[in-house]
Amino acid sequence: MPDYAPVDLTGTDLVEFELNGRTVKAPAGTMLVDACAANGVEVPIFCYEPRLGDPLGACRQCLVSVEGIPGLTTACSTPVAAEMMVDTVSEEVREAQDGILELLLENHPLDCPVCDKGGECPLQDRTFRFGPGESRMVEPKRHFPKPLKLSPQIALDRERCISCYRCVRFSQDVSEDGNLTMSERGGRSEITTFTGDSYNGRFTGNVIDLCPVGALTSIPYRFTSRPWDIQNTPSVCASCSVGCNTELTLREGEIKRVQGRDEPNWQVEEGWLCNVGRWGYGADQAPQRLRQPILRDGGETRECSLEEAVAAAGLVLAHEAHTTVLLGGDVTVEEAFIAKELAAGPLPDAQVGSAGVVGAALGPLRALPAAQLGDIDGADLVVVVGGDPANQHPVAELRLRKARRAGARIVLVGPRAQELESLGESIRTAPGNLAEGLTSAVAQIATVKRPLVVWDELDLDAEPDAAVVLATALGDNAAASQLELTSEVNGAGLRALGVAPHSRLVDQDLGGVLAVRANPGAGPGGDAWNRALDSGGPIVVIASHHSELTERATVVIPCSSHFEHEGVLVTAGQRAQRLRPGAAGPEQSAPGWEILIALSHRLGVALEYRSPRSAFAAATASAPALSGLDYDTLGDLGAEIATSPASDVNGAGAPRAHDGEGLPLVTGRSVFGGPEAHLSEGLVVTATGEEAVLHPAEAARLNVADANLITLNSPNGECTVRLRLDPGAPEGAVFAVRGVPGGTVESLLAPDRAPVNVTVNTA
Amino acid sequence: MPQLNSVYRHRAADRVLTTVDTYRLSGGYLALEKALGEMTADELLYVFHRSGLRGRGGAGFPMGRKASFLPKDAQLAKYLVCNADESEPGTFKDREIMELNPHQLIEGMVLAGYAIGAERGYIYIRGEYEYQAQILDAAIEAARESGYLGSDIAGSKVDFDLTLYRGAGAYICGEETGLLESLEGKRGQPRLKPPFPAVKGLWASPTLLNNVETLAALPPIVENGPDWYAGMGTEKSPGTKVFSISGHVTKPGNYEVVLGDTTLRELIFDMAGGLREGRSFKACWVGGSSVPVLAEQHLDTPLDYESLQEAGTFLGSGGCIVMDDSGCIVRASLRLASFYRHESCGKCTPCREGTGWMENVLQRMVDGEGRMEDFELMEALFGRIGGKCLCALADGAVAPISSAIRLFRKDFVRVVSEGSPLPQPMSPQLEMSGGRANA
Ligand SMILES: Cc1cc2nc3c(=O)[nH]c(=O)nc-3n(C[C@H](O)[C@H](O)[C@H](O)COP(=O)(O)O)c2cc1C
Ligand code: SF4
Ligand code: FES
Repeated sequence: MPDYAPVDLTGTDLVEFELNGRTVKAPAGTMLVDACAANGVEVPIFCYEPRLGDPLGACRQCLVSVEGIPGLTTACSTPVAAEMMVDTVSEEVREAQDGILELLLENHPLDCPVCDKGGECPLQDRTFRFGPGESRMVEPKRHFPKPLKLSPQIALDRERCISCYRCVRFSQDVSEDGNLTMSERGGRSEITTFTGDSYNGRFTGNVIDLCPVGALTSIPYRFTSRPWDIQNTPSVCASCSVGCNTELTLREGEIKRVQGRDEPNWQVEEGWLCNVGRWGYGADQAPQRLRQPILRDGGETRECSLEEAVAAAGLVLAHEAHTTVLLGGDVTVEEAFIAKELAAGPLPDAQVGSAGVVGAALGPLRALPAAQLGDIDGADLVVVVGGDPANQHPVAELRLRKARRAGARIVLVGPRAQELESLGESIRTAPGNLAEGLTSAVAQIATVKRPLVVWDELDLDAEPDAAVVLATALGDNAAASQLELTSEVNGAGLRALGVAPHSRLVDQDLGGVLAVRANPGAGPGGDAWNRALDSGGPIVVIASHHSELTERATVVIPCSSHFEHEGVLVTAGQRAQRLRPGAAGPEQSAPGWEILIALSHRLGVALEYRSPRSAFAAATASAPALSGLDYDTLGDLGAEIATSPASDVNGAGAPRAHDGEGLPLVTGRSVFGGPEAHLSEGLVVTATGEEAVLHPAEAARLNVADANLITLNSPNGECTVRLRLDPGAPEGAVFAVRGVPGGTVESLLAPDRAPVNVTVNTA
Repeated sequence: MPQLNSVYRHRAADRVLTTVDTYRLSGGYLALEKALGEMTADELLYVFHRSGLRGRGGAGFPMGRKASFLPKDAQLAKYLVCNADESEPGTFKDREIMELNPHQLIEGMVLAGYAIGAERGYIYIRGEYEYQAQILDAAIEAARESGYLGSDIAGSKVDFDLTLYRGAGAYICGEETGLLESLEGKRGQPRLKPPFPAVKGLWASPTLLNNVETLAALPPIVENGPDWYAGMGTEKSPGTKVFSISGHVTKPGNYEVVLGDTTLRELIFDMAGGLREGRSFKACWVGGSSVPVLAEQHLDTPLDYESLQEAGTFLGSGGCIVMDDSGCIVRASLRLASFYRHESCGKCTPCREGTGWMENVLQRMVDGEGRMEDFELMEALFGRIGGKCLCALADGAVAPISSAIRLFRKDFVRVVSEGSPLPQPMSPQLEMSGGRANA
């Protein structure tokens, strides 16, 4: 959690002011606390948090003296002006700051030895540095019964709360769920939800990072570690393509905690995480984790060593006449690059494909200036085309809300009812009518100063004519930029390496299969994939978790999860970012890149990369979009890769035709119902499931009832799922949530996600 | 008895004026017709300004000046808000106006609304004033029916309407920004200032907020001219002020005085009937409870802003609480400390934690467990709370207690050294004067 806002001392708008007798500079209007910090002077704070909007001025910890203002003033709410004379160290100021700390501790239980926050607690730190020696209070302290469960993941200890309102402001003003509030008043104030129910939401965990004391703690993390026996590592979340920057807490080789960084990435997540990003690490410790290599020989299945597994993999693949390499959408750049190299040399007659869609008409859009999430802040118009950011790319929601609060106009155009519709103008389009639905947005793009379009890869892939309309509109405004919300975590990285989607391979003879973090049978066109895999050769799987594919594989080699290895992901905004190992992973597992290198040795053409760093260097040399990047330039915050050159538009005249009978099917996924949510012990209680959604009128026509199981049939497959009726859902289409582990919605889709119609019947 | 020099028509007429007709018979709504028909908004603002009228809610800020702070070119709607929360202990002057003379408040609000360009006004009335709310509601409805509220008021093309909003019983909702939060449907807690309500008030729009007594003074000012009003009182304290007097006096009630003309002694001993037989004066909180306490030696202070300030206190809301020698200053201070602890909204650390601490220390003293070092501790607490908070509640909590310890130190020392407060609370005489006895 950042204490102070970053201040740019290199700009041209600086004013001079006097700070403790020194002449210093800061941009006019910067809050005094931030201006002081930028000039090396720390003013203690509690309620101030640069990301929570307007200062609150509640804790009074930041009192300083400013000449001309009678008494003391709160530095968190006083903007810097030229020639201001500021004193943060006078006797009067010191006494006041000391006094606030004494009062804060008056009713504080001082149970630091048993408090999770102990050792990394701002109250503790500031008491040491600015506070009084001891309390003069002789009366008993205020007592509350010990911790409550504010949510299944958050414990609330009311005795420790110092009423800084940070959590309340997060809930009210950042995530805008409006759920948290303070009840009672004065010394009896306590944090609670309005309804008295559990504090549920997509971003609730951020209040733990925000809490400057040990009042709000993470239930999964509680009592597992102490600050002096942990190590923290900066990394990136791989649960969706937003790519939030994280800090991993490691103890005894295991991930114990994921939190926002103290120095956030202001261009990406600003220090916020969604709950899956925060608690999804539990999936690594789930029973479904692959911990042991497996060999299947005829009917016999046995565990073996890593070495044996790699040797066996080499053996079975080398025997095939030709081979297919299938990559998941979240393989790292290094893994994908080495896999490509394997296919180009050591593997017999190999072809490579990855999860993801072709996006024939998306080239021109991608060639336009790419925005970062952070650029949403300065936009005056944000058009969200397709998708469902709140569920598919969660932290993007917080930026959109922030933009709305700052006065940007938000227009949402797309086929589905979604969480963010209340943010602005919402234009619901029937499947196939997206281009038409963009008319008003396109007109607005032409007339504003800084338009930014956030677009969903899959929805625009389904309606290429809309992509062309959008690209043309954006191209006409030189200040416009676009931000692609990619469907695959490393979709942009795979594209930069020239890896094409594997959907083109499903009808071919696969031969021997090498699957790296891939599980096409659970994806779109799963039935077709399973048929192809059944009729192909032996399957070698490199994966971190059990899946349908590991069940049918000849060789299963456990690999590191993204919490356990090094590598680069190119996330939304074409931002290349580094994963760093926070945990060791199971003994009988290894990083994917290392397994692939070992495999190359077994195949007799050894690849020479000795580290992810060197593999990345080779990858950047081979891929123009990555050129110029290396681990050092990526550093902690990542860097944008080159924009792909404009390509010609193919087949962009019309939306893709829907295959099959019945109503058009619109699907979406939710990170909150994805594998991490279901596998992680801390999240499973709040994990969402598969469902189909219909407008009640549509359901009446189809003669299906709310909360019943229904069967959907498409030319690709069949799926049984529970129905929910929602008057907010558009008529004329069926909506379904896909991507839930064990779910079958994906099987309705074609391997290339070509649009389908479905028939609907009571199951 | 009709009162001379009275600004409030029910006092001048010595009768209840709750209907439009009775109010009109006493000269009501003439100012409205004159101003809306003949004056521009700026001319009206100037009248307010020139009258020198100061806010009667407690802070005494010049009303015309505050009204002129509203930005003229703002794109946003403007609002007028009447503070009828009347939550200051010992204060019941607004209640009388609303009960007996609601149309004067309504007329004053139409005038102020027109002057600042607001089309909507709100009256935020304390939750406990249920009866008064009924009267106001009926009066608003009647004014609307008579064309004094709504669109095209009295044929002037001016639109203005009023909404009555009832609070839910928190002292802090009398503080202007806490009131605005509450009016917006939020938890009533003060906001950081600046921005001041004049710039960013209700719904983040320019808002003028005034007390009932302030707004109700406007019609006679417009009718008789600002110089008439400014001619009363002193240069810095023009006009009249209603004092609510309660406690150990034989005729508690509301008394309107010309500022500067009357002394505290006259208010207590002449107007309010003096103390009970055989009792002597002990202490008095003249401007509500949030002001430094006064003792015997201050009785000849004239009642106006500057004289009271010179005497070390504030005119405040004019809620004058009198205590005779049957009361105990330590117990009284404890009672006040409890009030502020109970009413602190909890936003600011010093107020939330400090008011409770002060109460604890005083409670110990009353319980016979005071220590001499508590005096030093209390002084330190005053310094740690006073001037360190967002709103004036915290300063108001310190003022009566710090002044009591300074003025009546002997009483406190006696309590600490002898171990119990003297005299015993709630003497039998109090029962006679209508107080609640606990025996
Ligand atoms: C804790 C607190 C309580 C207050 N309560 C009241 C009140 O009940 N009525 C009132 O008119 N003003 C009250 N005030 C003063 C208001 O904040 C504000 O100054 C006043 O309403 C402005 O109106 P005026 O300028 O007409 O006096 C209170 C102030 C504080 C700090
Ligand atoms: S001074 Fe007290 S009542 Fe006023 S805002 Fe602060 S905590 Fe609330
Ligand atoms: S940090 Fe400034 S008041 Fe809390």
